Amino acid sequence: MDDRLSKEEVLHVAELARIAISESELEKYQIQLKQIMDSVDKIKEVEVNDEKMLIANWSEPTKLREDTAGEMLNPKEVIGNAPRHSGNYIEVPVVIGEES
Amino acid sequence: MSNYIPTIGVEVHVELKTKTKIFSNSTNGYGEMANSLTNVIDLGYPGTLPTLNEEVINLAIKAATVLNCKIRREMHFDRKNYFYPDNPKNYQITQSRTPIGYDGYVEVEVNGVKKKIEIEEMHIEEDTCKSTHRGTKTLLDFNRAGVPLIEIVTKPCMTSGDEAKAYLEKLRELLFYCDVSDCKIEEGSMRADANVSIRKNESDPFGTKAEIKNIGSITNVAISINKEIERQSKLYDNGETFKPQTRRYDDKLGDTVLMRVKETGNDYRYFPEPDIPFVYVTDEMIENVVKTIPMLPDERRTIYIEKGVPEVNANKIVQNRSLSDYFNTLLDENTNFKIASNLLLGDIAAYLNKEEKLITDTTLTKERFVELIKNMEDNTLTSKNLKDILNKVLEETSSISEIIKASGIENITDDSAIREVIKKVIEENPGSVEDYKTGHDRAIKFLMGQVMKASRGSANPKIAMDILMEELK
Amino acid sequence: MKYLNKSVLELHELLKDKKIKPIDLVEEAFANIEENKELNAYITLNKEEAIKQAKELENKEVDNVLFGMPIAIKDNIVTKDLLTTCASHMLENFTPIYDATVIEKIKSKNMIIIGKTNMDEFAMGSTSRTSYFGSPLNPWNKERISGGSSGGSAVTIAARDLPFALGSDTGGSIRQPSSYCGIVGMKPTYGRVSRYGLIAFASSMDQIGPMTKNVYENALLLNAIVGKDNKDLTSANKEAEDFTRLIGKDIKDMKIAVPKYFMSDIVSNEVKLKIEETINLLKNAGAVVDYVDMKYLDQAVTLYQVIALGEASSNLARFDGIRYGFSAENPENIKDVYFKTRQEGFGTEVKRRIMVGAHILSGENAKVYYDKAMSVRAAMRDEFKRIYKDYDLIIGPTATTTAYAQTESLDDPLKSFLDDVLVNPANMAGLPGLNVPVGFDNSNMPIGMHIIGNDFDEARMYQLASYIEKELNLDLTPGGEK
Repeated sequence: MDDRLSKEEVLHVAELARIAISESELEKYQIQLKQIMDSVDKIKEVEVNDEKMLIANWSEPTKLREDTAGEMLNPKEVIGNAPRHSGNYIEVPVVIGEES
Repeated sequence: MSNYIPTIGVEVHVELKTKTKIFSNSTNGYGEMANSLTNVIDLGYPGTLPTLNEEVINLAIKAATVLNCKIRREMHFDRKNYFYPDNPKNYQITQSRTPIGYDGYVEVEVNGVKKKIEIEEMHIEEDTCKSTHRGTKTLLDFNRAGVPLIEIVTKPCMTSGDEAKAYLEKLRELLFYCDVSDCKIEEGSMRADANVSIRKNESDPFGTKAEIKNIGSITNVAISINKEIERQSKLYDNGETFKPQTRRYDDKLGDTVLMRVKETGNDYRYFPEPDIPFVYVTDEMIENVVKTIPMLPDERRTIYIEKGVPEVNANKIVQNRSLSDYFNTLLDENTNFKIASNLLLGDIAAYLNKEEKLITDTTLTKERFVELIKNMEDNTLTSKNLKDILNKVLEETSSISEIIKASGIENITDDSAIREVIKKVIEENPGSVEDYKTGHDRAIKFLMGQVMKASRGSANPKIAMDILMEELK
Repeated sequence: MKYLNKSVLELHELLKDKKIKPIDLVEEAFANIEENKELNAYITLNKEEAIKQAKELENKEVDNVLFGMPIAIKDNIVTKDLLTTCASHMLENFTPIYDATVIEKIKSKNMIIIGKTNMDEFAMGSTSRTSYFGSPLNPWNKERISGGSSGGSAVTIAARDLPFALGSDTGGSIRQPSSYCGIVGMKPTYGRVSRYGLIAFASSMDQIGPMTKNVYENALLLNAIVGKDNKDLTSANKEAEDFTRLIGKDIKDMKIAVPKYFMSDIVSNEVKLKIEETINLLKNAGAVVDYVDMKYLDQAVTLYQVIALGEASSNLARFDGIRYGFSAENPENIKDVYFKTRQEGFGTEVKRRIMVGAHILSGENAKVYYDKAMSVRAAMRDEFKRIYKDYDLIIGPTATTTAYAQTESLDDPLKSFLDDVLVNPANMAGLPGLNVPVGFDNSNMPIGMHIIGNDFDEARMYQLASYIEKELNLDLTPGGEK
């Protein structure tokens, strides 16, 4: 069994996670992610009698909220924590095209 | 160009008409100052959690019901993970595994042929924020972030742009009528994407798909789909192929243009949303929602026609929901619905347009309208005279007969006065009288004309005719 | 004059009788923290505001037992106008604009927030060494780790800086450092305490809980923070209850299960011996203690990796340098904003976990790993429920060893997961878990017992824990009573 993920696999998850990784980090992640995935892989071998799934230990079903408006932030508060802003808007470098 | 069989599926996003957002209690509004309708939840602040707006579930149940969908009774939400600046949490809360509605249909008519457009599923999700591009910057306004949406996905069951158009028109009419959404394409509260492919034979596998995104109007849906079919047909005719792709319709070009070629499918990493426990849709919830569904457009049209409204009038009335709602209040009355429809669509509609009013803003109560129709029907009031008193009819509250009296345009229905006029006409036209008596029926029309002329149009034609016949005996 | 070594009940009486003022406690807490500065328990101190608040309280009636008490808050719980960093460069300068629900609750009791405690970055770790602000040190031996992720909260309590702290526990992050530092830490039933304002790591497991010197005071703090919260759909609709109510009651006939896996070879002999001694103590008190077989417990770490990391990869996606927090300098395009901000803003452990989480949910993997994990999780919970048909509580060791050296296993990406092998199952099943100190190893490092209760059965856990505490009567002040 390989002791590492392929470069492509690591770069794919780094792309999904939007994390830049340097060439020197790449090899480290290839090995470390593989170590964790080997541990994770054991889940495949576990036998269960039932296909039912537990998403979370919710104690009650969702209680719906009444459709009544509450307090809102003013635009100054909205932009207050934003690294880049312009007027009442939060700003980012121009986005061309669509979500990937 | 050879003939191909097109296959079209349509995905529609509709913003729900709620007071607040889906997962927070900030206001769901349009056209307000940028970033003035948000709170920490809409902005995806660390530590915040969603709550779920009751009205969103109700409106989704309503939409599912009018789209003939089955309604899921136990559902949860899922996270769709993708990074984009308009997506505050970088995941969108949506329903992937348990859409609230599924297996529905709407019936449309295209060129006189009825067809059921099958709906695969309908799910609830949150809208993104609005981006505006300015030179090298993109500006983000989070007012729209978290506005509730339903997405309605058809099966790939349509074969022409016209069918897709008819489907969208029907969808808009239904959702607008039951107050699910404003369905304003220009304001973005209804957005349509179409998937188009073509193939040579029924038995062939589906062709390569192109998705046309964000089409700006229903008319353009038909045009863009037909253009796309044409484009694909030409490619195939020339023996060319193409990759799955996303295109958009360019209004100026009148054609679709390439946005991007789709790489191997998007990796959205869906998983069940742990922050929102199961939602159970009960019989009671459904019953309460169904109660609020008004009579739907198709039923309205059918009833109107049954009541004697010409089909063209029936369609026009249904297109205007406030007129139609008003018209519905008349349905129990014993009145002339044809005249009613002519009045509403004619002089009254012109008045309403000019004054920018709704029929309910006028003083025309159901009782007064029925009285008005009666006066028109028995010719007490002619269309010409109605124009003179229309403002009073729609702005004052006195009875129609009082208005007629006060304005002095009352038709002469007094027998003796008409008889005088008629006697005079008979005296003055012995030739015509002779013609009539020797069997020339046409002469009676001439004599009636003379009577109306002498009374300057104010004689009640029906009464005048009766008296004329009497006098000629 | 030193007051904070007294019990909370004694302090309460002194405050009520106006023999001391809140400011006395606050100043003493800051003095203690200053004295113990090298323990690095805090990321941010709330000195100015705490002193101001203490003075304001002088004119108010002492209306509850927690009035005027100093409290430390783990730095992943948001506090309005007070830096909340999650021990990350990503949030180094982040000032929240709202309070977490638990913060509103402790403020309504007029408790005084002293500062924000050190932790593993975004609560990802079992040693608190992944903190951007450096590792906190174990007061029992500064060469040793504090445990994590709520290391700073455990350290400040163990060091007797102040009586109360809040931690959070996703896979053992309250209980395991409590064990390593010799304090009492409770992870309540999932849903017992509102998560609104807790910066999410793994939403289906995260839970806030109290960390204190002793059992009684732990129950007092839990009393103050529980309750249905309409801002958190996963919070449980439970009536308020007094969690101290069973403390002091005898444990005769209490039925206790010890899963054999919890006492297997994965646990060091020293720890195992101490737990066995404690089990004998319980038997002598008339409790029924049985060793039982339980399936799936050995899968807890794997399950945790799949579910916690999958959820985390999504929960931490929001840190993108756009709306708040750190953002990379001079981005040329939107790609830079994302990739560089997250490269520079997150530490190694966090990036590793996010990438594994993304991998686990990617494409077909979601079905292979995530769906399967949710099924195993359901089976594990059923297994716990089966045991609770016959038993009141489940016990075992909290950790397989005592706190190890700061320098140990620094580069092992699996070690931090394996440290939590005994505490993960309670998070998976949503059950409450508590650490109570039961003794020391040969190096005088604390050993803790883990008590797992049935859903919403925290009061009974306190009953058992307080019995053990009273009978053992350990000196739990590092370096002995001062």
